[in-house]
Amino acid sequence: MGAALLPLVFRPVATADEPAGEAVQFFDRELAPLLARRCLECHNPAEKKGGLDLTNREAAIAGGDNGPAIEPGKPDESGLVIRVEAGEMPPKHPLPAAERQTLRRWIESGATWGAGNIDRFRYTSDARAGYDWWSLQPPIRPQVPQLEGSCWPRGDVDRFVLAQLQQRDLKPSSEADRRTLIRRLSFDLIGLPPSPEEVDAFVDDVQPDAYEQLVARLLDSPQYGVRWARHWLDVIRFGESNGFEYDEFRRDAWPYRDWIVRSLNSDLPYDEFARLQLAGDVLRPDDLDATIAAGFLAAGAFDTAGQGQQSLAMRAVVRQDEMEDLVGTVGQTFLALTVNCARCHDHKFDPIRQREYYALVAALSGVRQGNRELASCKASAERAAEIASADAQRQELLAQVSAIETPLRERIAAERSQVPVDLRPFAHWDFATASPELKLHGSASMTDQGLVLDGQTGYASASLDVELREKTLEVWVQLANLDQRGGAAMSVQTPGGAKFDAIVFGENEPGKWLAGSDNFSRTQPFAATVESEVAQPVHVCITYAADGTIAAYRNGRPYGTSYRSGGTAHFADGKTEVIFGLRHAPAAPGKLLAGTISQARLYDRALTPDEVAASSGRFVPTSTLRERMTPDEQSRYEQLKQQLARVEANLSVARPAKVYGVKPQQPEPTHLLVRGNPAQRGEVVAAGGVSSLAGLSAEFGLGPDAPEAERRRRLAAWITSPGNPLFARAMVNRLWQYHFGVGLVETSNDFGFNGGRPANVQLLDWLATELVAQRYSLKAIHRLIVTSAAYRQSSRHQSDAARLDADNRLLWRKTPVRLEAEAVRDAMLHTAGVLDLSLGGPGFQEMKMEIAPGTSTYLYPPDDPTRDAFKRRTLYRVWARSGRNALLDAFDCPDPSTTAPRRAVTTTPLQALALLNNAFVLHVCDKFVERLQREAADDPARQVTRAYRLAYARRPLPDEQAAAERVVREHGLDVLARVLFNSNEFIYVD
Amino acid sequence: MSTSRAHLDRRDFLSWVHRGLTSSALASLMLRDSTLQAAPLSGEAADPPPHVPAKARRAIHICLCGAMSHVDSFDYKPDLVRLHGKSLVSEERPDVFFGQVGLLRAPDWKFQQRGQSGLWVSELMPHIGEVADELTVIHSMFAETSNHTPAMFQENTGFRLNGFPVLGSWLSYGLGCETDNLPAFVVIPDAREFPAGGSINWTSGFLPARHQGVVVRGRGNPIDDLFASRQIAPANERATRELLAAVNARHLVDHPQSDPLSARMQAYEMAARMQLAVPEVADLASETAETQSLYGLEGKETGDFGRSCLLARRLLERGVRFVQLFSGGTFGSPRRNWDGHEDMVQNHGQEAKRIDQPVAALLKDLRRRGMLDDTLVLFTTEFGRTPFTQSAADVVGKGRDHNQYGFTVWMAGAGLKHGIRYGATDDVGYRAVEDRVHWHDFHATVLHLLGIDHERLTYYHNGIRRRLTNVHGEVVRGLLA
Repeated sequence: MGAALLPLVFRPVATADEPAGEAVQFFDRELAPLLARRCLECHNPAEKKGGLDLTNREAAIAGGDNGPAIEPGKPDESGLVIRVEAGEMPPKHPLPAAERQTLRRWIESGATWGAGNIDRFRYTSDARAGYDWWSLQPPIRPQVPQLEGSCWPRGDVDRFVLAQLQQRDLKPSSEADRRTLIRRLSFDLIGLPPSPEEVDAFVDDVQPDAYEQLVARLLDSPQYGVRWARHWLDVIRFGESNGFEYDEFRRDAWPYRDWIVRSLNSDLPYDEFARLQLAGDVLRPDDLDATIAAGFLAAGAFDTAGQGQQSLAMRAVVRQDEMEDLVGTVGQTFLALTVNCARCHDHKFDPIRQREYYALVAALSGVRQGNRELASCKASAERAAEIASADAQRQELLAQVSAIETPLRERIAAERSQVPVDLRPFAHWDFATASPELKLHGSASMTDQGLVLDGQTGYASASLDVELREKTLEVWVQLANLDQRGGAAMSVQTPGGAKFDAIVFGENEPGKWLAGSDNFSRTQPFAATVESEVAQPVHVCITYAADGTIAAYRNGRPYGTSYRSGGTAHFADGKTEVIFGLRHAPAAPGKLLAGTISQARLYDRALTPDEVAASSGRFVPTSTLRERMTPDEQSRYEQLKQQLARVEANLSVARPAKVYGVKPQQPEPTHLLVRGNPAQRGEVVAAGGVSSLAGLSAEFGLGPDAPEAERRRRLAAWITSPGNPLFARAMVNRLWQYHFGVGLVETSNDFGFNGGRPANVQLLDWLATELVAQRYSLKAIHRLIVTSAAYRQSSRHQSDAARLDADNRLLWRKTPVRLEAEAVRDAMLHTAGVLDLSLGGPGFQEMKMEIAPGTSTYLYPPDDPTRDAFKRRTLYRVWARSGRNALLDAFDCPDPSTTAPRRAVTTTPLQALALLNNAFVLHVCDKFVERLQREAADDPARQVTRAYRLAYARRPLPDEQAAAERVVREHGLDVLARVLFNSNEFIYVD
Repeated sequence: MSTSRAHLDRRDFLSWVHRGLTSSALASLMLRDSTLQAAPLSGEAADPPPHVPAKARRAIHICLCGAMSHVDSFDYKPDLVRLHGKSLVSEERPDVFFGQVGLLRAPDWKFQQRGQSGLWVSELMPHIGEVADELTVIHSMFAETSNHTPAMFQENTGFRLNGFPVLGSWLSYGLGCETDNLPAFVVIPDAREFPAGGSINWTSGFLPARHQGVVVRGRGNPIDDLFASRQIAPANERATRELLAAVNARHLVDHPQSDPLSARMQAYEMAARMQLAVPEVADLASETAETQSLYGLEGKETGDFGRSCLLARRLLERGVRFVQLFSGGTFGSPRRNWDGHEDMVQNHGQEAKRIDQPVAALLKDLRRRGMLDDTLVLFTTEFGRTPFTQSAADVVGKGRDHNQYGFTVWMAGAGLKHGIRYGATDDVGYRAVEDRVHWHDFHATVLHLLGIDHERLTYYHNGIRRRLTNVHGEVVRGLLA
């Protein structure tokens, strides 16, 4: 497209207070821009190449390593002129003759300097943006163009569009038909195709505001949030694993994703949306949603191996890389500014100083990632209602479960033990029902079976305020497998794990239990038999007598032979922990147990063999309970359990227990790092912003040691300030991009010199001011855009218009769009009638999750793609960074490690192969066939019509009907289903 | 992108309906027509190469995961033998990954000068020693980090972080493919396991996803989704293709002038050709017995990597631009990559046996087929290992820690001086001291040999015209013929 379409907006800089004088004017007009453009990139106070700084007169005269650069009046003695005229400077790009002349003339006439130092960022040049750059100026609400004689505009958006079209003698296209409009709107706003019934209703709707009502209905749909959350997650490079070497799974990243969906659905004002993501946890420390929102800060990759290495110097590099990623994402997301390019030197293209990059680092340097407990946070009124209702249901269901279980339990216990058992443990844990004072770590979870441990990250801990010498550890545990080595079911340890006594499985000998202890100091083999199956829980008990005797029992009977160790370990009052699933701290692979622990007890004495035997009989596993139920009880019990699972899932969605998010730490003062090198510290820099944003102070008013919370509060306020020229512009441009396929500025993460120029700067500014006027309501802007005539145009190609504006930047039609990967997958499921529209909660894991043997590295190989859980919307898949999906990748699903401001749209043979042959696609084809058979009986004619209506939102034409019917009769419906899913009409939206 | 088929009009469609499927001209176009060959895919770079005369048309990269010890393989240091059991003399305490600096340890394999060139190669790699005269050895590599994964990212993308495109993706973007029947960028992982980070290692980053590496396996289904995941009757498969072509052609009538729609139709034709081409290329049994044994296909230790190397050669022969082979999987115990912290003899012995003969066979085979004249072979590892052991300060341990300060890689083939060594580490092989080469320089050189000016192969992303070489990199002229 021609440059004439993209006027750069230069605003004249006031000259009133500059010193007069012709020589000064000459300098300011000619010399300063010349030096700024040609010389100052290297010869500035920061870089000072060759020791030379040309930003002020004194330094220039003083010169550099090669002597004085300027001898006023004597050009032939001035190093500057000599080097320039010899073609040595600037290196590789010698000055044009006219500019050499200017330099010489200036020095001849006395080298008069202008007002103060030259600020090389002041003016935009042909090599970089200055303070006068268009996007840095405050948006001023433009006059809406007054257009004569066209009834096309439906609103102000259209007037801006039409004004530009008219300038180029182009005409907009007529409105698309209703079937096209509902398909377009439906995919655009909720990411799903309309049902045939919805299409009919809209096509037949004679009310004048039928379209607006459709828009309102779709914007109110909870699926709107699901659709638009994906766009946001692309930009902020959301992933649910750490990336790098270990790529550990982040089990609790989903509450942040859900918060985005909720916030979009409730139309949370965009400024608040941004503020909470930057600083929610410190702005509203007790607020559940605000704390979750700050998960934004932890959405990127994290180098566990790098942070764990011995070398301090290398750890510092890893941390600086992390900061670059974070600062870059913040700048690009909210400001469309690539501040990260100023890590090693001043920004090469935009007026951002290296110092300002480190000011932003200072603002964010307290950000650390990790699982954040949410128990102490208060839920919003909306959530509270959900929680209360789910909780009430849960209590009710638990009571009903207990009504069946308790009598049976008592009966069985009475049969087993003639002697009432009262061993008075001083601590006991019944994991299946309650968990007082127990802390869950990693992936550990509580179910009605007990404490479930995956052997990878999960364990639980509790602290004890009792002194212990003699003791008994007793646990009921069902192992997940017999191959595991070195995990413990139960352990007593000093904090940190320097001293411990533990019930360990398979450490020295596979398949055997062991009394584990620090450095094996109290450990000897029991010489017992190996475990041979995992179908039932086992009762394991180890007693530690005062004389050092250690005895083990399995299911109430002695396990091998006891032995006498060197003595009992002393665990001091208040310095003792009980841990389940982990041998001793710190947690690491090879020390973690995979299995389920249902109960555990701790005694401050060694139980006798009789006591152990009696105790072992007391436990009644659920399987035994089930056996004793009547058939009626059994079916009722299963029903209750299923309901309970559902209610508990709802509860955890409404009230997440933790979120992978920000765990701030008070940082050390931030230093500017020379060339970005952590080993070369420069000046101390306090938190602050970027000063080239016109009309907005970059000062946070904070010292270098300001509290972490204050830094992010000020950052959030600075970014979302109504005076910030970039904040609203960047967001309305994103909205426009997702509605039209390309933004008014093509580069939605970069409004700088290297980015695109706005195709319609007036429209952009009008929308930006409108967003503020609408109190940052995103839905208001959606409504404005999608109800415009520009959006409602037909997508029909017009050769004349295409010759003038091939890329349709002026919007003479609606450009057809290819569905994104997620929309392809969702549309197939929806068309087949099997899409699960449920919202929220942990994602579905369409890949297996494995730890590579003997490592901490997570692998995510593909899994059977046909499971029911996979029928949820694609947003809810687990986005592990190395757990990619070939089908989604084939449709340009971006790498979750890097921000994707706009997705590529590519077409490849591999895409064709994936859509033809992928097991998931074929499975959904089957479901589509089942649906057609269900809804159109055995009549191929009706089946074809129904198939077309479901897949294309239209009826087949007679020739299409005939061709498809013939195939169905000869080859069956599955051919038709596969064809429709693979067809262009399914994948493209007009 | 338009083809004759893409411009079918409504009348053609009706006549097709009329004639029925069996006599359809479309059907033969879809599945059997060899006359309608599309032009080979080309790259999509804005400033398309060649920028400089290309010496190589294709490349193969053998990527050793876990860090191969240079002092035990290619970087012969007589002083290290002499100083075995002594402390490293250094101004500052070495800052190593696991923090333990033991005593110096002589290489565990004897070095010999090999071939006409007299390059030193240890007995760790006896077969590669046989082709020493083909090698262009760089002894003065250094890395920015001694942490495996970021170092591997840098080895492949120029950056230490996740999310940047790898070399193969850049080449796919810049040069495209010489065939449209096979992907431009193929990855063959170690048969035992993916490297740590899995597919992150062959990501296209911010480049369009079509440029990411495609995993091809030497056994089983060579490419995911190449064929339907379950049995589909050939008649149904054919009917599907035919109806799809017709439905798309019909749709195109109402959407004239739409390149993306025609391109998708063409992609299905290419997919069909790929279904023929891929099984053919993966069929190693069609090679002669002599070739199979050259690569060690029957060997217990050499079989896996031999298959990978032979498959790679077949892919290159048929127009694939870049094949990347991984030697080694994740990090951990028992070791299955080159990360010999505990026991160099055991670890490197085990890993070298797997690849030595196959890699040498690849060079010999490429040479005798004339392919080495326009093929570039890269043999790299993310960093080296320390000349001292990872052990207490007064002990000669058995393992070596990571060494980012100096290590060895080699190239072979097109446009290079053969049988030379370039740069040097210090007397014990700890630090690169002479003609130091950074990955950016290495990448600039690789691109140069493939006809690309590394400063001109760019892709705009988030404010920067991104390059493989960031804002650095100099072609290492001393390596060029």
